[in-house]
Amino acid sequence: MATRVDTLEPIPIPEPERPPERKLSPAEWAKKNLFSTWYNGVLTVGFGLLLGWAAFRVLQFVFVDARWEIIERNLRLLLVFRFPREETWRLWTALAVLAASFGLGAGAAAKLRAAEVAEGRAAPPARYLAVRRVAPLVLLVVVLLVFAQSLTATLFTAGVAAVAIAFRFLGRRIPRERVRWVAAAVLAGIIAAFVVLTRFGGVPASEWGGFHLTLYLAVGGILLSFPLGVLLALGRRSTLPLVRIVCAAYIELIRGVPLIAILFMGFFMLGFFLEPGWDRPTEVTRALVAFILFTAAYVAEIVRGGLQAVPRGQIEAAMAVGLSPLKTTRLILLPQALRAVIPGLVGQFISLFKDTSLVFIIGLTELLGVAELMTKQPDFLAQGLIFEALVFAAFVYWAGSYWMSRESQRLERRLGVGER
Amino acid sequence: MTESERAAAAVATAPGRGEPMIVLEGVSKWFGDFQALKDVGFIVGRQEVVVVAGPSGSGKSTMIRCINRLEKHDRGRIVVDGIELTDDLRNIQEIRREVGMVFQQFNLFPHLTVLENITIAPRQVRRWPKQKARQKAMELLERVRIPEQAHKYPLQLSGGQQQRAAIARALAMEPKIMLFDEPTSALDPEMIKEVLDVMEELAESGMTMIVVSHEMGFAKAVADRMMLMADGEIVEVGTPEHFFTNPQEERTKQFLSQIL
Repeated sequence: MATRVDTLEPIPIPEPERPPERKLSPAEWAKKNLFSTWYNGVLTVGFGLLLGWAAFRVLQFVFVDARWEIIERNLRLLLVFRFPREETWRLWTALAVLAASFGLGAGAAAKLRAAEVAEGRAAPPARYLAVRRVAPLVLLVVVLLVFAQSLTATLFTAGVAAVAIAFRFLGRRIPRERVRWVAAAVLAGIIAAFVVLTRFGGVPASEWGGFHLTLYLAVGGILLSFPLGVLLALGRRSTLPLVRIVCAAYIELIRGVPLIAILFMGFFMLGFFLEPGWDRPTEVTRALVAFILFTAAYVAEIVRGGLQAVPRGQIEAAMAVGLSPLKTTRLILLPQALRAVIPGLVGQFISLFKDTSLVFIIGLTELLGVAELMTKQPDFLAQGLIFEALVFAAFVYWAGSYWMSRESQRLERRLGVGER
Repeated sequence: MTESERAAAAVATAPGRGEPMIVLEGVSKWFGDFQALKDVGFIVGRQEVVVVAGPSGSGKSTMIRCINRLEKHDRGRIVVDGIELTDDLRNIQEIRREVGMVFQQFNLFPHLTVLENITIAPRQVRRWPKQKARQKAMELLERVRIPEQAHKYPLQLSGGQQQRAAIARALAMEPKIMLFDEPTSALDPEMIKEVLDVMEELAESGMTMIVVSHEMGFAKAVADRMMLMADGEIVEVGTPEHFFTNPQEERTKQFLSQIL
């Protein structure tokens, strides 16, 4: 009978097996990754020396050799060029308006995310995400403030940051069913900032220059080329032959011409097509239109790729439940197509941001133009200071581009949840 | 016309219970030079369940896709609940509102949650208020037994759950007719039953259904009539007993011997 009693004893549940842990000491890690063979050792040492030398030279330039006073003295020109001093309040007001609307947007997005996390269909955000997201921009602002060496500017910047943070908290309090209006609020903020700068005795965009002009051309170009590009992409897939042909012809025509040629055409040839009595658009407007027309053609092709990637079954399912063709496009086709092409779209917008520097060929003075111009000032002429000017301009472009690139990756991950 | 052909034709045109819901008369369809449907004539009665079988390429999918105009028939007439299917967009929309469809590949919208997948059509097409649409959606999710998945995205669900969500999406428009295009063919074996159970309940509730399927157990239990198609034609139609125990056509016997 003893054997029967044995079977009543609880059977121990085996511990689930775990993968073996491999923890390397720093020495082991270096051996494995840097010095696994003699030639890897040689490469490690060689590249180590090369990188060390390069880093040393860069740091030496930035902190010892460079004569940054050319930037310090010309910072205002670099940022806003000849924007009248007595109108500077408009710039700060516009910045505060932008900070408010973007803060509101960020707050609403954070709230939406929190709701999705609570419902178990989104991963919780990484720690300090909000801070990490703006890191490249913060770096840019800090560098600018270091060059500015101005208490007023620092205080105003802190004020703008405070507005952004305050409105972010406000954004979190927006009721969920109103959240979709926030995108409209952000757009309204951008328009309001433009109105503050230009209307009521302000400075028209045609007088702008420096980084201010760069931003205007880039933001205006992105905001307007995107919808135009989407329409062109849809048009190219239209069932109406005329629409299809016109869209395809436009796209192929624009893509076959260099951006510089389009800028020149806007400058020289536009007057030719306008009636004699009409107002001539300013150079800045011509440049903006050229960027919009140019970028829209590329956006259209990128979006078309996304449209083609949406399976036919999605459209059939939408039609089967009775959605009209327009609603199928707006609610089913475009959301899926656009999220598939975020990397390509952002790449195009980064290109546009940097291509704005080409407007120097039609006599406009944006960031790079000012950087080049200031080396010809009597105080700095022929002293080889073009280095400092270029490094500074490059840094500003890089900070903006890198920020866009990171936002694109974040957006991809955010929208990709539950899809793969 | 041989004896058996006459018998088949008689069954093919005999309405099911009550008045006809779907009428096909001499429907033909070409893809390029290939004729996918050849003079298909058929009547489905109200609350009738018809299971369509046949080898691949026999035109069964094409036939049911013509009924809600996912494919355009080139010749013949299709009348759904008294509405003739023409090029008139309003007619097409009206028919699509009355006809729910379930696809082999589910075709759920991956960027919307399960709940949003179900509410989008009632909200956008029937203009229901949000609360009503959500309530209806939750009722349907209870019915297909996945209410706890309401806030997930489709690709976070198993195949069987996805197909049940797709059935709920089709039912949300309160259709009078449901079309099933091989609803279990893309599923792992252990998930087929959960979907068939839902379909069986739907049939018992009095829904008019056309089901393209090779699930013969399901057909025997649920179908009012069985249909075999081959090469774009209806080969044989009859009650399940007639179809499985006493098939008239050589083609039917051959098909049954291959799949049973």
